[in-house]
Amino acid sequence: MDRSCYCLWDLQSTDRSSTLSEMLSCVAQTGEHSRELLLRALEARELAGATIVAPGTAMPHCRSILVDDFVVVLGRSREGVSWPEERVRLIILFISPVKPSGPQEHMELIKHLAGKIGESGQEKLFKASSSKQLADMLGFQLIES
Amino acid sequence: MHPDLEKLISLHDLDVMIKDLGRADILQEEVRLGLSPDAAVGELKTIREQLSSSIGKRWLALYGQICVRYGNAVVPVVMQRCTGCLTRLPTAVYSADDRNEQVRTCPTCGRIIYWAD
Repeated sequence: MDRSCYCLWDLQSTDRSSTLSEMLSCVAQTGEHSRELLLRALEARELAGATIVAPGTAMPHCRSILVDDFVVVLGRSREGVSWPEERVRLIILFISPVKPSGPQEHMELIKHLAGKIGESGQEKLFKASSSKQLADMLGFQLIES
Repeated sequence: MHPDLEKLISLHDLDVMIKDLGRADILQEEVRLGLSPDAAVGELKTIREQLSSSIGKRWLALYGQICVRYGNAVVPVVMQRCTGCLTRLPTAVYSADDRNEQVRTCPTCGRIIYWAD
């Protein structure tokens, strides 16, 4: 599994929907229309239950036919984003492709992230000093954009 | 993109999410993360119902039939091929100007096809 990610170090958006949109906008391999549909899928998952995995950290995710490989985007917000019941400062967005090995790889990615978050601890992740350090702590290779 | 085609893609993604959360291993990992997948499935099903009620009956029926037959009803076209059956599409289909402006099906397998942007 490709373990690379994009990172938006200083998110400008302050609400969930525009933050998801801002994060998707840095994904080079998808067009505008696909991003709009991916946003809908991520929002549907959030409406079904906010993906707050730890205080201050959200993990919006889904599987979609609109991507042919894993898409991971990390986002950090100085001001915090309304999610909307809680303010989050760290967002780990991922989208897994729909393919025969998809469910297994999707599960492995969730497992990987759960392990890394537990291993690094919330505070350490919040204190990361750069995109690269944050990506390293979560076990990803940063895609320079 | 045709509005029904957009909705069929979203419906497909919702069905994948609902199916995934029915898997014991994914469910277990989501719980480990502190999420509530059981509650999420119920909500996703409600969202699915709302979405399906807004899709044209003809396309919704076709979607259901193809799902029963193949498991996946909507697939992208890659390199002029339907990625469901891997058959090369006729020139008239893949070279059409309004490719995503109408709901199209693969002439071979009948899956609903779309072109990613």
